[in-house]
Amino acid sequence: MKRHRLHLLALLLMLVLAVAAAGCGGDDDEGDEAGADTAATAAEETTEEAVSGSINVLAVWTGAEGEAFQAVLDGFTEKNPDVKVSYKSAKDPGQVLATSVEGGNPPDIAALPSPGLMKDFASRGALKEIDFVKDAITENYAGSWLDLGTVEGKLYGLFFKGANKSTVWYNVAVFEDAGVEPPEDWDAFLEAADTLKASGVAAYSLGGADGWTLTDLFENIYLRTAGPEKYDQLADHEIPWTDPSVKEALTEMGKVLGDTENIAGGTSGALQTDFPTSVTQVYSTPPKAAQVLEGDFVGGVIAAETKAKPETGFNVYAFPEIGDSGQVVVGGGDVMVMFKDNPAARALIKYLATPEAGQIWAEKGGFSSPNKNVDESVYPDEITKKTAIDLAQAEVFRFDLSDLQPAAFGGDAMFTILQDFLKSPKDVDGAAQKLEKAAAAAFKS
Amino acid sequence: MATAAAEIRRAEPVVIEKGIGPKITRVLSRAPVHLILVLIGLFWLIPTTGLFITSLLTPSDAAQGGWWNFFVKPSTWTLENYRDMFDNEGIVDALIVTAQVTLGATILPILVASLAAYALAWIEFPGRDWLFLIVVGLLLVPIQMALIPIFSLYNTFNLFDSIPGLILFHTAFALPFAIFLLRNFFAGIPKDLMEAARIDGASEFLLFFKVILPLGLPAIASLAIFQVLFVWNDLLIGLVLAQNNQPIAPHLASQLRQFGSNLDVLAPASFFSAVVPLIIFAAFQRYFVQGLLAGSVK
Amino acid sequence: MSSTSVRAEFPLEEGTPPAPESPRWRGLGTPLVFLAPAIFFLVIWMVYPTLRTMLRSLYSDDGDRFVWLENYERLFRDDRLLTAIKNNAFWVLLIPAAVTAVGLIFAVLVERVRWSVAFKIAVFMPLAVSLFAVGVIWRIMYQQDPERGAINAAISGAKGFVQETGVLSTAKPSSDALEGTPKGGLTLKDAIRPGAVATLGLTAVSAGEIPEDAKEAVQPEPLQGGISGVVWRDFKPGGGTPGEVEAEEVGLPGVTVELRDAAGKKIDSTTSEDDGTFRFEDVGDGEYRVAIGASTFAQPFRGVNWLGDKLITPAIMFAYIWVTAGFAMVIIGAGLAAIPRDVLEAARTDGGSEWQVFRRVTVPLLGPVLTVVFVTQIIGVLKIFDLVVAIAPGSSQDDAATLAFVMWQRAFSGQNLFGLGAAISTFLLVLFIPFLVFQIKRFRTETA
Repeated sequence: MKRHRLHLLALLLMLVLAVAAAGCGGDDDEGDEAGADTAATAAEETTEEAVSGSINVLAVWTGAEGEAFQAVLDGFTEKNPDVKVSYKSAKDPGQVLATSVEGGNPPDIAALPSPGLMKDFASRGALKEIDFVKDAITENYAGSWLDLGTVEGKLYGLFFKGANKSTVWYNVAVFEDAGVEPPEDWDAFLEAADTLKASGVAAYSLGGADGWTLTDLFENIYLRTAGPEKYDQLADHEIPWTDPSVKEALTEMGKVLGDTENIAGGTSGALQTDFPTSVTQVYSTPPKAAQVLEGDFVGGVIAAETKAKPETGFNVYAFPEIGDSGQVVVGGGDVMVMFKDNPAARALIKYLATPEAGQIWAEKGGFSSPNKNVDESVYPDEITKKTAIDLAQAEVFRFDLSDLQPAAFGGDAMFTILQDFLKSPKDVDGAAQKLEKAAAAAFKS
Repeated sequence: MATAAAEIRRAEPVVIEKGIGPKITRVLSRAPVHLILVLIGLFWLIPTTGLFITSLLTPSDAAQGGWWNFFVKPSTWTLENYRDMFDNEGIVDALIVTAQVTLGATILPILVASLAAYALAWIEFPGRDWLFLIVVGLLLVPIQMALIPIFSLYNTFNLFDSIPGLILFHTAFALPFAIFLLRNFFAGIPKDLMEAARIDGASEFLLFFKVILPLGLPAIASLAIFQVLFVWNDLLIGLVLAQNNQPIAPHLASQLRQFGSNLDVLAPASFFSAVVPLIIFAAFQRYFVQGLLAGSVK
Repeated sequence: MSSTSVRAEFPLEEGTPPAPESPRWRGLGTPLVFLAPAIFFLVIWMVYPTLRTMLRSLYSDDGDRFVWLENYERLFRDDRLLTAIKNNAFWVLLIPAAVTAVGLIFAVLVERVRWSVAFKIAVFMPLAVSLFAVGVIWRIMYQQDPERGAINAAISGAKGFVQETGVLSTAKPSSDALEGTPKGGLTLKDAIRPGAVATLGLTAVSAGEIPEDAKEAVQPEPLQGGISGVVWRDFKPGGGTPGEVEAEEVGLPGVTVELRDAAGKKIDSTTSEDDGTFRFEDVGDGEYRVAIGASTFAQPFRGVNWLGDKLITPAIMFAYIWVTAGFAMVIIGAGLAAIPRDVLEAARTDGGSEWQVFRRVTVPLLGPVLTVVFVTQIIGVLKIFDLVVAIAPGSSQDDAATLAFVMWQRAFSGQNLFGLGAAISTFLLVLFIPFLVFQIKRFRTETA
């Protein structure tokens, strides 16, 4: 029957289409790589010629931060009026990028929250080199920022927004009531915690449900007890996590985690508390804790979700020294990477490396620029200025260790293991062994 | 055929409630049933009420916790969360996109599925049972699994970031359940009815349009409401397959801050998104209960 | 009741063609036309991706190397995955039956009241709100802190009727002079005689806990023939010296102080004044112990730890039922509506009670619809992950993990382990298809 044959033909056609599509999908990856080679060998652009084109930018910033970043992008389009920049935000850029990269259509430029993620993408050949800003970076940034953006000798990332994670935010009234001054070293810190407990308010607010708060605490302690060289070795997994220096840091950390009565909500409460709540409960009425040990982005949460006022309600001090560690800073940052190489994207990257770009956002607050040439005076208030300057001018600066690890470890296993450690802070050896096992597995694959 | 159809039309669609109800009241007293339902209903509403109240609190009040205190101190409510949400540009565009996608992705699967379900229920052909089982088995395919291959497929065929692209994806994923439900429903239609219609000499197509579809209305209506719900609230598919033409859920999701608790964005957004499906549900739910078969066969 | 005749009249699964007078089978043409659109969609959007994912599972995470079954090895060695499989088993065994039952009960009950629309909307509302929002609501409801979590707040309120919270729930002794634990009451270590002064210093009392009318603590004068003392907050800014009443330290009013004899038996009790002082007048000669009773330290309800390891899966299950009952109710309601009235009338006139009618006629007639709900739920719980992400805090994720959740984590949340993710998806499919087929076949033989 005629209908019969037609139907069969239709089926056949569909099958052919399906197979062809499968074939096309595979080709995309190869095509990208070929393009990368030619782009990399292109001569560097030295003049500020007007470029044109249309580019997509992806980052995590929304709300007030999103507006600020949009202002930065507007500064770019002012200088390059023929370029159309379309900005999209996503709470988890890593997730969106996972699908769009694997599917073959990523945005032109994205802001990644960690160098580890950048390394993952670079090793899969998804990123384009940004050699053309190497000089600008050397001029505007301290040395380590250049290294952090480099993977196997090639420059892929430009750091635009920095975060100072060696800060402790506290409730001023509680401190006054207890008669405690911001401690400068670890012993004073632990003593202050006891005094705060005696005054009736828990000293620590831990956001244990969000494992990264625990990794930040570990890193701050480790950098101070083990020193920067060991920190680097641990980050590259040149020393194992069962090294005595790690156990020492874990033991110190246990002094905080094990002080159950001094943690808001106790251990089980801390395990359920997410990061935003760990901040707001320090400033609730009545406050549930005296201080929260987290980075400068806490300020943003305080402003958005509590009624506390700067200096009268809340204030900040630098994470205390341990022994003779000196003034060191563990920090984080958002790194701009390029997925597609075209003149407009290059121009945007170059623009973001300039102090002017950083200044636009710095003026609005809630922003620390790792760019050392950003004028101090643009920071809008004392507290922001303090944390930003501590970051940009730290004698010793190290990037957040968990962000440098492969995502399976630094973004997942490390969190769970430290949460288990919070449940049983005496088990230092057990925690160290679990960390080593997970790290070994992640570095191998 | 004509007489059978006429008979069906003549039989008044009797709402089942009236039929069973009075009979029950003779046996049971009404009160326990009412009481149970009221209690259950109230209990069921508690979490959504909590969310609603939270959407009326300032972020710092919401962070304090204890939304039930609102009943004690009602003066602290505010509309600023809703205002902020509406201030956001692009929300109207997102709504239009979502409406289009939802419309297409509801009508199309119903058409396609009813055709297939009828064939699987009432037409004999070799391999029918296996085909049905495979279709139901496809219910297992998680959406995430299909996203990446379809994403690259769409790039090749220029369907990325397009409304047809979204409609087609949603349609395909609605089919296994739709076919499953409709096929079982159609299979339950009394054989006599089908016989009567066939004796009158109806072709398969006529049978389908004049008999099956009207009889299957309750199931189709249920299907429709759930599909509207699912497509309207969908986040994942819209997030991956759309860029500048985002439906409402990804659009609202892009407002979520990295570090805050986001309740002040999430709560009003959830309610706002819920309004349309709820209205459709309330408007169409009577179709769920109309029994067109009531008292007709003889 | 002629249940057999009913069953014969309503073939539940088979759409068998009638007598050979009107031949149905016109070759493959007609069914193909009916099926073609569906097949088009399913092949391209579901079958093709499935096949491609299966293929992908045989490659490394970055897609470059062909690694055969290595991803599957990783799958079985992954602890979290094994927990996930166990959890999924629980979900499958418990939830589909529960949801179907709840939906059936609701659908049947609600047909009997006239205000059914209101009830249906109430039960339907969880479905209208996005699943992510549902997760957020329940995460908040389950918070352990009774001031945050609605459920624990309700329990706390109920408990509050039964047992009062003490005036000072967090206090501890400030020095060794007081021994015991707040739970059992604090006793002054040394026995005292009449004319002595008992100082009971407490610490860890927060500024908010101090009653409004508290005044500065004073060391009281010794009482001739009696015992005087003071209960005070032994803390001043900077700490102060424990055990000594100092300026700036505040007395604690309203504390119940007991006077006990040397053996520990309670003789008398009194309440402290605004400045924390108390007195027992004219006590006889002998040795006494002064104590603060346990009731002063009665802890407020700390809250059930719903979100902790042990209860997290039941917690998520409950939230899931809350969401899905509406779905079951609506679908089963539609099935109920399609039952012809005269069948039920016939059954009733045959002399059956309501319950018999329900069991022997309604439920079997609902068979196909119940199957749909039940099977859909089995599949739904196999795929569950949104609720796990939203409700389980990071610390409980391991215990709450389901297969789909682990897959999402490995492949989509930035870890980019696509090979492993594909393997998990394939595993899910391969594992459960036979199970599914078996279930459907079982329903068919049961209802045939």
